[in-house]
Amino acid sequence: MTARLRILVVLVSAALVQTTVCSEFRIAGVSPELMLLVTVLAGFHGGPTRGALVAFWAGLLYDSVTTAPLGLHALVFPPIAVAVSSLEQRMLRTTPFTDALGVATAVGAGVAAVAVVGEIFGQVSSDLESLGQRIVIAALFTTGIAPLVNKVMVWAVAAGLPVTVELRRDGD
Amino acid sequence: MAAPRPAERPRHILLILIAAALTLLTLQFRGVEPLEAFQQGVRDILSPVRSVVDEITDPVQRVWNGIFEYGNLQGENERLQTELARMRGESLMAEADSELLERLLGEVDIAYTDLTTVVARILGTPPGNFSVHAVEIDKGTDNGLEAGLPVVTGAGLVGRLDQVDRARSVVRLATHPDFRVGVRLVDSQDEGLARGTGEGDVLILDAGIRSDTPISIGEVVTTSGGRSLFPSDIPVGRVLDTGNDADFRRSIVVELAARLENLSFLNVVVEAPGLGMAR
Repeated sequence: MTARLRILVVLVSAALVQTTVCSEFRIAGVSPELMLLVTVLAGFHGGPTRGALVAFWAGLLYDSVTTAPLGLHALVFPPIAVAVSSLEQRMLRTTPFTDALGVATAVGAGVAAVAVVGEIFGQVSSDLESLGQRIVIAALFTTGIAPLVNKVMVWAVAAGLPVTVELRRDGD
Repeated sequence: MAAPRPAERPRHILLILIAAALTLLTLQFRGVEPLEAFQQGVRDILSPVRSVVDEITDPVQRVWNGIFEYGNLQGENERLQTELARMRGESLMAEADSELLERLLGEVDIAYTDLTTVVARILGTPPGNFSVHAVEIDKGTDNGLEAGLPVVTGAGLVGRLDQVDRARSVVRLATHPDFRVGVRLVDSQDEGLARGTGEGDVLILDAGIRSDTPISIGEVVTTSGGRSLFPSDIPVGRVLDTGNDADFRRSIVVELAARLENLSFLNVVVEAPGLGMAR
């Protein structure tokens, strides 16, 4: 299966899960942001260019299945993917904890960015008073499902990319 | 870990994608038909899958809600108990109230029960985390619904249809900050524009009402009809705060007659006197 086909399968499946299972299971009215998680992981594993492209299509699909105007998530997601990729390249050492923290921060930033851009474009349905609570719950909830999605995203976006060669000195 | 390739131009790609997204947003806000049709098509394709998953996950979802919505259920239980106590107290005056209401509604020739409606079941909150003050129902264009139609319960106005697909629709509730409805105060017959606040089950009536209009707490408020999207004489609620002490702009608080929390079924008004004109 080619990389593009893998990404297409993952994006369509993620959109389906986002509108079905994720919408059914909410904590305090907040559902996990699966499409945003796909974006973050695409940036992490796929690099800035592939990450941005996957993020754009993920955002566009998300816009298509929600009540958001077409282009809102597609506008916000690519910069998030590029930012995640940029940070990932600068990280010298990672642990599961730092990875989880990174995912939670990126998801939180993404949710906040969608709310802000939505407000700018007149989509006032976002309840700004409870926005902080929504961001925290969405970030934690989404990070909780990240290990599962991570494996799928490695399979989808890391295919065909050159293998990283890590240079180490003796004794490191 | 991702390995950046030398040929990558992430900034250029990013700028192109942002420009594409902004173009789509602009076209969407200009109401370009193919974009809305595309969105509706995608949702229609996914709709049967969503219905199947809804059915399959229903038992698990009940358990999930029992765990994570326990606090809300407890609060709702307390609210209902308080409401019941209040209703018991009010039952003594019910007859008198009923007569008064009938007289008030009779004066303006209200025939609220004559509306032709389609009964719809509430499926839940629309997908995504930014669809507050909106609910999804299980009826759509296949059932003769279209965007803009008023949505009511036996108690009164609930909202209007915002997004209509083949088998599902999204109702914008009256509490949505973007919701507007033309209303009439039944006693004074003064008309104005009420809007949702995004908080509680109340509307704010702060446009169109004269500052010297005598208004009493508990006064019945109905839709005004006319140029409004809504047909006339649908009960909206009662005046909670008359805003008499305002210096410049009067702001009247109207408590909605219909409770918007924990609704199960709604009625979409498909035929009513004046509805065709408004559309």
